[in-house]
Amino acid sequence: MTREEIVEKVNNFLVEEIEIERDLLKDDARLKEDLKIDSLDFVDIVVIVERNFGFKIKPEEMKDVKLLSQFYDYIEQQLSK
Amino acid sequence: MKYALVTGGSRGIGRSICLQLASMGFPVVINYNSNRTAAEETLKAIEEAGGHGELLPFDVSDSKSVDAALDGWSERHPDDYIDVLVNNAGIRQDTLMVFMQNEQWDQVMGTNLNGFFYTTRRLLKDMLTHRHGRIINMTSLSGLKGLPGQANYAASKAAIIGATKALAQEVGARKVTVNAVAPGFINTDMTQGIDEATHKTLIPLGRFGKPEEVAALVGFLASEQAAYITGETISVNGGLY
Repeated sequence: MTREEIVEKVNNFLVEEIEIERDLLKDDARLKEDLKIDSLDFVDIVVIVERNFGFKIKPEEMKDVKLLSQFYDYIEQQLSK
Repeated sequence: MKYALVTGGSRGIGRSICLQLASMGFPVVINYNSNRTAAEETLKAIEEAGGHGELLPFDVSDSKSVDAALDGWSERHPDDYIDVLVNNAGIRQDTLMVFMQNEQWDQVMGTNLNGFFYTTRRLLKDMLTHRHGRIINMTSLSGLKGLPGQANYAASKAAIIGATKALAQEVGARKVTVNAVAPGFINTDMTQGIDEATHKTLIPLGRFGKPEEVAALVGFLASEQAAYITGETISVNGGLY
């Protein structure tokens, strides 16, 4: 899966399932402060990522993921394993 | 389809809860640990009343057993989820604390408290993603006031009340409610050996309760009518506090 495909998939589920406005989805957007992703949204994201990308997010691996671009990086790294 | 799971559903209050939820239209997953015959009787009673149910044996005190059984259930039911969880499985091993063995403490905590944790943790994610769920935890009069000889049981049941309040705040935003029900003396196998004639004089309503009187409250808490009640512990004890 290319970086562009990952970005498109992630952005689509953030808009459709987490109900974040598409305009806010910029690479440097902060997940908590700008996108208002809270810990319950994170539960949804874990489930959606598993469904869409076929791997389970480990919460401890996400602790340094602060920006949307870092979240794309994380998914890219996991898929390349 | 939305299912209900009752842990320790084969006998006593658990059986009545299974029947109550089935009468409300929920297909009921009846969990039991060892008494298959009793669980089959519960299932038969549900079916005779026109309801639907299935058996799902696992040991609530063993996290691997809980996950394996519920993972298997999910695989067999790809389009269903458990919307109502009644954490009812519980055991008693009464003795004065000075005589209490480590095993008596650990086993009661293992089933009554760890069982609640393992089962709820496994099912919570589905409730959160479906934006709906009902968790009803069976606690006890003993967890509210304490009873001599029940330091282990009372501690486990008091802990359930604390966990109920905390979890209710965690998951309320996803329309998942979490409540506890605290029965007093109810006529079941668990209260056999407790002399009703002696104890009923302490109870304002003058008698032990019936399992179906507890089940009626659980049914209400599982219903849509109870959508705005969460974090509560409600007693069913004939006025005995």
